Amino acid sequence: MQELIMTPQMQGEPMPGAAFEPAIVAFVCNWCTYTAADLAGTSRMVQSPNVRLVRMMCTGMVDPKYIIKALLGGADAVLISGCHPGDCHYINGNYKARRRVKLLMEILPRFGIDSRRIKLTWVGASEGNEFAATVNRFAAEIKELGPIDTRSLPLL
Amino acid sequence: MPSRIGVYVCHCGTNIAGRVDSEGVARHASGLKNVAVARDYKFMCSDPGQDMIIKDIREMGLTRVVVASCSPRLHEKTFQKACQRGGLNPFLFQMTCIREHCSWVVADPAEATAKAKTLVAAAVSRVNEHEELYSRVEAVHPDVLVVGGGIAGIQAALDIARSGHKVHLVERGPSIGGHMTQFDKTFPTLDCAACISTPKMVAVAQEPNINLMTMSEVVEVKGYVGNYTARIRTRPRYINEDRCTGCGLCMEKCPKSVPSEFEEGLGKRKAVHRNSPQSVPNTPVIDPASCIYLVKGKCGACKQNCPSEAVDFEQQESFLDVQAGTIVLATGFDILDPTPLSQYGFGRYPEVYTGLQFERLNNAVGPTGGKILMKNGQAPESVAIIHCVGSRDKAYHEYCSRVCCMYALKYDHLIKDKIGHHARVFNFYIDMRCFGKGYEEFYRRVQEEGVTFIRGRPSEVTDQSLSVEEDGKLIVVAEDTLLGRPVRVAVDMVVLCTAMQARHDASEVARVFGVSCGQDGFFLEEHPKLGPVSTATDGIFLAGTCQGPKDIPDAVAHASGGAGQALSLAARGEVSISPTVSWINPDICIGCKMCVGLCAYSAIEFDERRKVCVINEAMCKGCGSCAGHCPSGAAQVRHFNEKQIFAELEGLSQYVSPIRQPARADAP
Amino acid sequence: MGSIARIEVTDGNPVAALQGFCARLLADGEISAVLAPRRLPGNGGTMPALVADPEQFHDVDPLAPSFRLSAARMLTRLTRGADEGGLVAALLRPCEVRAFIELCKLNQGSLENTLLVSLDCPGAFTNADTGRFSGNRGNAEALLGFLRADGRGDFDGMQIARACRTCEHPTGAEADLSICLFGQDPAKGLLLMANTPRGEGFMTRLGLPEASDDGARAKALDVLLTERRAAQEQMFAETTAATSDMSGLSTFLSACVNCYNCRTACPVCYCKECVFLTDVFEHKPWQYMSWARQRGALKMPTDTVFFHLTRLAHMSTACVGCGQCSNACPNDVPVMELFKTIAASTQKAFDYEAGRDPGEAPPLSVFREHEFTELTGGLD
Repeated sequence: MQELIMTPQMQGEPMPGAAFEPAIVAFVCNWCTYTAADLAGTSRMVQSPNVRLVRMMCTGMVDPKYIIKALLGGADAVLISGCHPGDCHYINGNYKARRRVKLLMEILPRFGIDSRRIKLTWVGASEGNEFAATVNRFAAEIKELGPIDTRSLPLL
Repeated sequence: MPSRIGVYVCHCGTNIAGRVDSEGVARHASGLKNVAVARDYKFMCSDPGQDMIIKDIREMGLTRVVVASCSPRLHEKTFQKACQRGGLNPFLFQMTCIREHCSWVVADPAEATAKAKTLVAAAVSRVNEHEELYSRVEAVHPDVLVVGGGIAGIQAALDIARSGHKVHLVERGPSIGGHMTQFDKTFPTLDCAACISTPKMVAVAQEPNINLMTMSEVVEVKGYVGNYTARIRTRPRYINEDRCTGCGLCMEKCPKSVPSEFEEGLGKRKAVHRNSPQSVPNTPVIDPASCIYLVKGKCGACKQNCPSEAVDFEQQESFLDVQAGTIVLATGFDILDPTPLSQYGFGRYPEVYTGLQFERLNNAVGPTGGKILMKNGQAPESVAIIHCVGSRDKAYHEYCSRVCCMYALKYDHLIKDKIGHHARVFNFYIDMRCFGKGYEEFYRRVQEEGVTFIRGRPSEVTDQSLSVEEDGKLIVVAEDTLLGRPVRVAVDMVVLCTAMQARHDASEVARVFGVSCGQDGFFLEEHPKLGPVSTATDGIFLAGTCQGPKDIPDAVAHASGGAGQALSLAARGEVSISPTVSWINPDICIGCKMCVGLCAYSAIEFDERRKVCVINEAMCKGCGSCAGHCPSGAAQVRHFNEKQIFAELEGLSQYVSPIRQPARADAP
Repeated sequence: MGSIARIEVTDGNPVAALQGFCARLLADGEISAVLAPRRLPGNGGTMPALVADPEQFHDVDPLAPSFRLSAARMLTRLTRGADEGGLVAALLRPCEVRAFIELCKLNQGSLENTLLVSLDCPGAFTNADTGRFSGNRGNAEALLGFLRADGRGDFDGMQIARACRTCEHPTGAEADLSICLFGQDPAKGLLLMANTPRGEGFMTRLGLPEASDDGARAKALDVLLTERRAAQEQMFAETTAATSDMSGLSTFLSACVNCYNCRTACPVCYCKECVFLTDVFEHKPWQYMSWARQRGALKMPTDTVFFHLTRLAHMSTACVGCGQCSNACPNDVPVMELFKTIAASTQKAFDYEAGRDPGEAPPLSVFREHEFTELTGGLD
């Protein structure tokens, strides 16, 4: 059985003097933000490469555990993005997501996880430009903030 | 047994490989846990690409497949089917997008390649946790619901009805026909709108497979593809359609006159009225807001004079539930109200008209009997037509309204034709867009008729004259951008080519049907190119201008497309329902019922005997509101369960470089 | 304020008086059994017992400062979906009442099937200290002294558990009936207060002598609450300082061995099976190896911080601050300090208070169209 082979470069081991490149996990809903990301791609809107999408059917299925796990696993920030209020493909999943994010916002920042590292946005299916802008703004913001503590802690 | 994963990295010609080192990504993937084979190929979606997967499944005994190519929203089904042909359950497949989310948007090739590797690793990690799932096959109700009775709705309803399927056609107004019945001539052929639309309207009335419901709106939709139930509210017409012969005596006798909406305020109608004698149904309608009897309880002139006792003031609003397997939305458009563009003086100067008002001035049954007349009863000697009013304008609508250039040309011709060659016509345009069949030819013809075209968006329309020639006229002030100099053109009449815009209540209607609106406010199609009539909601299709501005031929073609899509489902008679719905593990569920309250579809019931919550899979849409909350993880969405998401995160986090603990300073 | 009656204490023995009170409750035809703390053999303090025979109240002791188990979860077992037999009368500490109300919202128990009787709670010792307090070993004078102190001070050189010292809900007004100790002389008599219509009904039927509130209780409570709120503030400040970054949190929880005792002891951790015990967290050997290689060293057991953060997300809005988590921890992780500190902030965020009102829906079970727009930059 083969083991995971990783070269230092692939691991993203920062080159000496290289700028910090944040790793950002984005939980996005299939119907709005994922579609917007597709549209941004089709329209060739250049984006910072730091954001990796995890496709969910709805933000309402984003279990707070996923956000905690991503941050503990060393993601420098987490984006949760879904349909605008009222536009949810599943009627009101985004409202439930908003409460769950609110809950985490009361917990995680108390342990030094900067609240800017958890972001909730509404990006509709036709808002490719808004998606690209959100990604670029967020990546720049996190770059400024620097790496998350959990990268240097043996937590899990 | 560990899984045997095949990874396939697409070049998509140069779309991916031009930025991402697809070969390098495949090589990298081959070193990932449980990967048995990793290949790259020019076009994975092509037949040879799919065959490669099928062959590997069969010959190498693959138990999982990952494809890294375009967005799964495009080709997930293609590859799932390929897996199925290879003998693999389609859900043992994961697709990751390295085109739209990677090669097309990451500028640096090294960064794009690194990102692609991460995405592939996440997909590989996730696919390990995939489980076999089986789609459910449900019957499709053969009836189709068409919402909106304009030309698009009519076309869709007729197409479907003629195939033998029953159509419920719901129209909000008293008659079908929509905006088209307000027009006079149609570009570029100049055939009369009524002459071509009336036969279609009559055909609807005579079609036994069409259940026409006017004065009606869909207020609630339940169910899912193949099995929709729509609740329809019908407002009272106050005239019994079965008894009324359409003689029109009631309208003659009615003492109350109010401005007519159909005449765009240029003419009057009675409280009991009918758009035109060609209306379908041709039963008049009593407007409860202006009817003296319904407001004050006195009058009843219509009732006394009706020879067939059809007037019924006791009619009440009613509700009806209809079943349909598919739904076609053809709810049309609104015309932008140009009043806020105060520089053009609409509402302030009586001789400034909207395009639709000008259509009525030309219509044989319109307020002027088809003569182009000013309010003083004289024919204008000169007319200015201002294009792009509220369209191609960031302050209103950024989009091009698509039809204005052409109807402006039609007006040019009609003015020359009806008033005479001496009438001067000035078009103020930004660009002339005459792209359709016969359109450019029509443009040439109108130019040859001596119409003036001035390139430039007018800054204002004013009555402040600067010379004797301008006295008593409307002056259009603009810059001729071709000549680069300001112009002032004095005219008798101004026509504003106002933009088509989404219905004022489009977003509420979208909510009722569970579809989305785009940034322009119109309903959003599934894909701008390859899915222009379908929506993100299975079984709901679009027809005509509810999806965006269209001229008549485009609206009709679009409607036939929507009808065809609806029919293909109805004709097949069954639809496969995704198995990616929620499931509650009864061994873990403790019956707290929190999920019951969170479910937007009432798809969760509490089993009193076992004291656990149970998903009704037919009603569950797989949104995961339950799973997102359930603290014990008893509620899970199939194909999006905790293990799968954690595995995907794990795959992503492999590439997060930990900052290692420094070796201790006091270490030897 | 509801009616007030007096529970007479004879021979300076309030425990006997409450045993008599329990027997009177059971004598009412509507009550089929009484759930109350009962002394364990030896000097081990008390545990809840369900007493159905009026002759069996001799070891019942609701006043002992012993709190080995929150009876809330026991009570859910007795009332869940029950439609036969009468009511269970339960003598509970206020935190147990509030936990039970939370559990009823989660469909785990039924308020319909129970008569809740709360006692003014001076607090209890930790499990470790319970047996060391002489009042828990038969010294009636020491117990009286404890009760007279109205929840404040040192006893045999020990303080009550920190969860109790920082508790701002020492009275259980949410119960049907409250037995009032604060400001009373427990050697002479206690007060009984009715808080609900059901409580009023029982009060009338019990035929206890009417009494009036002389204000002594409110005064004692006022002093106690001032002290406890200050202690709470201090605990919040200390905990916040100690866990102000992930490194601090990791240190704070470093002794956690993933035994899940805290969640077993927690009355509002109601899951049948904790998700951390499911196969979702059964990592494969290669997974550990991969983590270790990636990080150089891997702390074992894994997922401890993850577990506590998730548990905070799951139940901090339902936390009643009873402190059973810390009581149950084998390695003295200050779990209660952490949970109570975070719970104060999560409950405030949703304008919610665990156990305050049975009609108040758990924050994560509801949502509104317009709320928390600050999360999305004011957009909604």
